[in-house]
Amino acid sequence: MLWLCISLPLLPLEALRTDIGDAATVVTATERSARWVICCNPAAERAYLKPAMNYTVALAVCPQVIPIDRKPQAEQAALERLAAWAYQFSSSVILNEISADLRQARSAALWLEIGASLKLFGGLRNLLEDLEQQLISMQYSYRLGIGPTLEGAALLARAGIRIATTTPHALYLRIRSLPISKLTLDPDTTLQLHTAGVRTVGLLLELPRDAVAKRFGPKTANLLYRLMGEAADPRSAYRLPDRYAAQFDFGFDISSTETLLFPLSRMLREFAGYLRARDTAVQRFKLVFSHRQQPPTELLIGMSLAERNAERFLTLVRERLERTELPAPTCMLELSATEFSSPTALQPDLLKSELEHTEDLTHTIDRIAARLGEDQVHGLQAVADHRPEASWSTAQFNSKQSAAVFPDRPLWLLPEPKPLQMTATPRIVSGPERIESGWWDSGEVQRDYFVVNAGDGSQWWVFQDLRDRNWYLHGFWS
Amino acid sequence: MTRTVTLEQLARLCRTGSESLRAPDVEISGSPALDAALPGGGWLVGSMVEMMPNTMGIGELQLLMPTLARISQGERYVAFISPPLIPFPPALSQQGLRLSHLLVIRAEKPADVLWACEQTLRCKSFGAVVSWPTTIKDREVRRLQLAAEAGRSIGFLYRPIDAALEASPAATRLRLLSTQDGSLRVEILKCRGGRAGVTVDCTRLRDSVGLSDTSSTATHSAVLAACS
Repeated sequence: MLWLCISLPLLPLEALRTDIGDAATVVTATERSARWVICCNPAAERAYLKPAMNYTVALAVCPQVIPIDRKPQAEQAALERLAAWAYQFSSSVILNEISADLRQARSAALWLEIGASLKLFGGLRNLLEDLEQQLISMQYSYRLGIGPTLEGAALLARAGIRIATTTPHALYLRIRSLPISKLTLDPDTTLQLHTAGVRTVGLLLELPRDAVAKRFGPKTANLLYRLMGEAADPRSAYRLPDRYAAQFDFGFDISSTETLLFPLSRMLREFAGYLRARDTAVQRFKLVFSHRQQPPTELLIGMSLAERNAERFLTLVRERLERTELPAPTCMLELSATEFSSPTALQPDLLKSELEHTEDLTHTIDRIAARLGEDQVHGLQAVADHRPEASWSTAQFNSKQSAAVFPDRPLWLLPEPKPLQMTATPRIVSGPERIESGWWDSGEVQRDYFVVNAGDGSQWWVFQDLRDRNWYLHGFWS
Repeated sequence: MTRTVTLEQLARLCRTGSESLRAPDVEISGSPALDAALPGGGWLVGSMVEMMPNTMGIGELQLLMPTLARISQGERYVAFISPPLIPFPPALSQQGLRLSHLLVIRAEKPADVLWACEQTLRCKSFGAVVSWPTTIKDREVRRLQLAAEAGRSIGFLYRPIDAALEASPAATRLRLLSTQDGSLRVEILKCRGGRAGVTVDCTRLRDSVGLSDTSSTATHSAVLAACS
């Protein structure tokens, strides 16, 4: 087993913001009637703010600091979205529970078993490159650690040691000089160890385990066993859901469409990761924008080909958003998809150019349909019916056409016949062509059609209704 | 010999601004008289063509039908953007247009029409884009011209006849008028790489088809008034 641990030290902040910002921002939580800083963005750290600082102290140090309340549910949701995304790299993904304990708030992490995936991805370097590139594009701050045990990988990630270790001995060599504060022991035990002179992980590991258990509690010994792979570390693996449903609760209102694109971009990338993990694609997914006062806005994004490309999703969503008026600022986003189909045109083909051609075409049409509305973009078809108004219909683009044979017809048809006032006999070019049809449905017609020359040189298609003898204009012979 | 070649090259340089001897890609219009008048012998691929008919129904769409039919029979597609009426499918297929290769886009706002034109022109899958914008500025025509160059397609733009008085960056500009005998007169107001000011009379296809029985033609000139 080779575990890759992705540690997300800024998750309390990043679960609520996609842009960690230039202004000093901290995430705070209240415990025992005091408000504590649990997570700082880089700007806050530059202002000498630290996690575990009392918020009153933080305010004194940096009066212009922006506080955000911690939302463990949002962190859990973000971690689950990431787990679904990470499934593309490994078939066993483990995520640690988001703990309500403030001291554990920065230890959000997920583990991927990558030993079995290395060959598929062409080696560790390629796998990491791919993974890191995606994490960066989703705007998460992360640290990676690779080790033979879960705790070992997590410890390396927390300590920022990026060298992969594959055996417990190699792990021991890497971690022995680390301070024991890097272990996830409770603070009292850490203090006890310090007073006993045990300052580094190496020193602690050299002590007999049963003595450690006696003096510092079985929990400590158990952690050491699990760290070195001497005891089993059973955890429940993350299971990929059959349907995708993700939510992003930012905890504040976003009113501009441009700003909404940042969380959307992250969500769509995570979604694309999920689709890759399942080796599937979608033709349709739903976005729900929640507002505080108004009922939520739903957008259904459809594509003509099954897709799993995040950039493409984003282009379509952007087009739709530009056209959609949201009634109120958005405070939460939801993305869901229930129907999946196998991806179209993903394998490079012998007929590659033709493939690109159709892809290019469908993407253009999808983009136009997303902006103008799906019913504004269509094909046409001829229908075998004698009545002109019934002899055509809109059709799905690129659909199969029935071969119907018609007599000579004008290129332009009026949506409705227009009544004409005949002041003189028109110059008839051809006609009459009698059309009597449609008695079986309500649209019965009895007409004599003529092609006539109008005075200005244009040719009109007119008919006389045989029932009331009135003349109508029905088309132009363009 | 070398002198004539040099002269020809110089003439081409003056006309097109490029020295290459390669003839530009064209789609023939299907009307021999018009092809002869247009540089290269047809519609220039990768350019905008402005058509300014004096009224509807004089054969302004008919003029394009041979070209559109040929494009749609091939691999590429044809787009109609905001046509003013219904392009009648029975007639279109009669004229040889493959309906499965025709896309109709209905946009209402001028900005949307323009955007849809640009998107389709840029897309390499569309061989021809025919559009009927309500208003368009010359700066916007230039954008479409660039899009057509990028997508190597032909953009046909129908504009009101008054637009003939304004300048436009379109490569080809045609004023369409009907003559007394019902044929279509094409006045070439501008064409890149060719001579402007040429007038071509195109016979209307439906007259040459000969479906009409001219015996019934009345001598009166028609006075028709449409009342809404």
